[in-house]
Amino acid sequence: MLKNLLYVVMFSALAAPLFEVKLPRGIDFTLRNSPTSQKYLIETMPGGVALLDYNNDGLLDIFLVNGGQLSDPMKTPENFERHDPRYWNRLYRQNRDGSFTDVTEEAGLAKAGDGNYGMGVAVGDYDNDGYPDLYVTSYGKNILYHNNGNGSFTDVTAKAGVGGGGWSVSAGFFDYDNDGKLDLFVTRYMEWDTKHSKSCGGEWHTYCPPEEFPATTNILYRNRGDGTFEDVSQRSGIASKKGRALGVAFADCDDDGFTDIYVANDGMQQFLFHNNGDGTFTERALEMGSGLSPDGRRLSGMGVVFQDYDNDGRPDVIVTELPREIYGLYHNDGNGSFSYRSLETGLGVLSSGSSGWGVGLEDFDNDGWKDLFVAQGHVLDNVEKIDSSLHYWELPTTAINHNGRFERTDSGSPSAAAGRGAAFGDLNNDGWQDAVMTVLGGPPQIFLNRGGKQHWLVISLRGTRSNRDGLGARVRVNGQTRFATTAGSYLSASDKRLHFGLGAAETAKVEIAWPSGTRQILNDVHADQFLEVREPEKP
Amino acid sequence: MIHIFLLLWLAWQTVSPEALHHLQAGIESDKQRHYDAAIAEFKKLTELEPTLTAGFINLGAAYMEKQDYASATPPLTRAVELSPDQAEAHQLLGYALLAQGYAGEAIPHLQRAHEEGALGVAQIETGQLQDAVVNLQAALAKRPNDPDLLYYLGRASGLLSKQSIDMLQAAYPDSARAHQAMAENYFVLRQMPQAEKEFHAALQLRPDTPHLHLELGLVYAGASQWEKAEEEFRAEAKLQPGSAEAAYRLGNTLLQEGKVREARAELQRADGLKPEMPETLYALAKAASLEGDWSAAEKGWVKVIGLEKASDLAAQAHFALANLYRKQGKTAEAEREMQEFQKLQNTATNAEGSNK
Repeated sequence: MLKNLLYVVMFSALAAPLFEVKLPRGIDFTLRNSPTSQKYLIETMPGGVALLDYNNDGLLDIFLVNGGQLSDPMKTPENFERHDPRYWNRLYRQNRDGSFTDVTEEAGLAKAGDGNYGMGVAVGDYDNDGYPDLYVTSYGKNILYHNNGNGSFTDVTAKAGVGGGGWSVSAGFFDYDNDGKLDLFVTRYMEWDTKHSKSCGGEWHTYCPPEEFPATTNILYRNRGDGTFEDVSQRSGIASKKGRALGVAFADCDDDGFTDIYVANDGMQQFLFHNNGDGTFTERALEMGSGLSPDGRRLSGMGVVFQDYDNDGRPDVIVTELPREIYGLYHNDGNGSFSYRSLETGLGVLSSGSSGWGVGLEDFDNDGWKDLFVAQGHVLDNVEKIDSSLHYWELPTTAINHNGRFERTDSGSPSAAAGRGAAFGDLNNDGWQDAVMTVLGGPPQIFLNRGGKQHWLVISLRGTRSNRDGLGARVRVNGQTRFATTAGSYLSASDKRLHFGLGAAETAKVEIAWPSGTRQILNDVHADQFLEVREPEKP
Repeated sequence: MIHIFLLLWLAWQTVSPEALHHLQAGIESDKQRHYDAAIAEFKKLTELEPTLTAGFINLGAAYMEKQDYASATPPLTRAVELSPDQAEAHQLLGYALLAQGYAGEAIPHLQRAHEEGALGVAQIETGQLQDAVVNLQAALAKRPNDPDLLYYLGRASGLLSKQSIDMLQAAYPDSARAHQAMAENYFVLRQMPQAEKEFHAALQLRPDTPHLHLELGLVYAGASQWEKAEEEFRAEAKLQPGSAEAAYRLGNTLLQEGKVREARAELQRADGLKPEMPETLYALAKAASLEGDWSAAEKGWVKVIGLEKASDLAAQAHFALANLYRKQGKTAEAEREMQEFQKLQNTATNAEGSNK
């Protein structure tokens, strides 16, 4: 008994945080959301982060989306002063020594249009030229930056026809029709503008709840393959449902070979757009059991991840929400049905007092089970005055997955912050997943994994018949499954490489189901390597 | 009604034809809501018949229709002087005085008129809270669901409660009960850190006081601090093993923590202590569902719907049943329950809309 107690005490004292949180040399970004007394809703919503290797040097670079300047009150026409360098989005190129260099200007990413207040970012190689392209969402117009392959980008929005409009939030590239070309999905929050902003709250002036403003539609762009996109929102059935969408994630939830879309809606039912395989989608969240809480209550869905948390091979959904709602974990039962499992998995205890945004399921301790990371912070910047048990600044939640049950662990974050976007990837190529979290009014927090002794495998997909990065592929390694995507979380885009913790295993069996339908198996793959797998040219 | 009475009464008296004419004209104007004309007629009547009580009552009543209580007071006072046993005169005078804030002066008149509701209101104003509660309860027994009476009874009870608490805090400021009262006050005001502190102070002084652990548990549950809430509810359940609420709260907290088996046992205990409680049955069915006992879950939720019909909890039970049937492949049943859920949700949304 005493021995056990001593062990617990010693273990607690010795347990090191999961990450070392630092700001690497060269990153001097501040997410300027410009809060005003008007409580314009956009102020509390940015901003995204992307982890991508834009110059193919093997090192992940960081792209950060900035908000903009808001005047108090705003004048017409709206001007967010994005020409001012303080409000630029920023691209930081990683150097060999782990430091970063701001390459925003030389990459052609400076400024972002004075009428655009920045929100999120999506990453995908839409023209299959081997270089990742960037899509930046805004309140205003969105921008598609084509990666020229020489360290620079070109704004091709007008030609591509993907400017959107209104208030776009998260976006993601995926291939919904399996034609080998990445299509684009854009979530939009609501019909809102600064002229029609409202004042909410009683004694304390607060941001209004989403129900105060009309819902709106999301956008689906089909890639024609000639550098242009077609808006198929109506034809595909996506625009048949109006929502208040924030996060979006992709996976093939029923294993029919077509990628489905999960949309996190704020203050209402969530959407699961089932891909019918004929270019159309049917929204089926309610009938599939993933649209509401188990008590039939609406959710304040913000971020979302669509990955397999319990290693049964099927993608599950975790939606981050406001306090008192509990982050929703919808377990994929495999028969076109989901079960709510937030309570049994420990998410109830972990999340009921927190406001979650960016979210990831990543195997941070390389034990073969995907762990949880959630960027957190309440929507209202004065929430403590209304309810002292809630906080605008929160620590992120990190939780280790023990056979399908999540247990809180110390993230190592030095201070609470208004966390928003979160992206995941192996920044220092050590085989251990890292994370980057954006913070309103401050610099990003970069979580470098302290590592350990477990084995790992990182796979890069090289599609030939499928899209070049194999987005949409289902990859199974030693009983774990990942769905290849850069999307998910909130406003953010993660490393396209697929990371697997192998535990004590020194070899792995890799099974890939490519979007083209090709199946590929690799046996006895050595652990602890970055492996590129090329899709067979013939099935 | 007063006018009908007065006409009958007048029949027994001898008044001049001219006075009778003014009386009839006044009553007619009053009926047509021409109060100024009525007042003029009743004034002439009181000049012609200065000892006729009915004239003064009618004049006072007409002023009161105009909400001119100050002008109503002198003729009504005169009516009471002329006919001290005239209940209607006392009633109107009592109302007129109360409306002007002269609660103390109004009370004897309202007592004479047996006007318990207004008397209770006047007694609140004069601090006779216990009498006020008694009178308002009596008035409510005659006019159940009267919103004004319900409001004043609540106010009187609240003030009475506050009076007791103030006395407690003045006399025994460091007692467990004083801390408990403070804690409850903070809880209502949603000042949870202060409420927590006061509950702890009370518990330190009298750890075996019933409800203290329960109330502190509610503070923690409200802040989603489930582990602390469990500790407190467990302590309350140990202290009061016969308390269904303690068992329910503990069971529900265990459910939030994902301790499903324990939760189910505790909720079953709550159900045994106080059967047919919809909240307990709902949570019990939820626990059964999480344990894979779909039959028990179905039975529980069906029972909730039977008890609750169209409440929010019934809507939740319909939704839970829809999910349960869907998992079982009972598509038609699932659709039926989902439709019921949506119907109740729409009703609730419409109600919300009409309240805005």
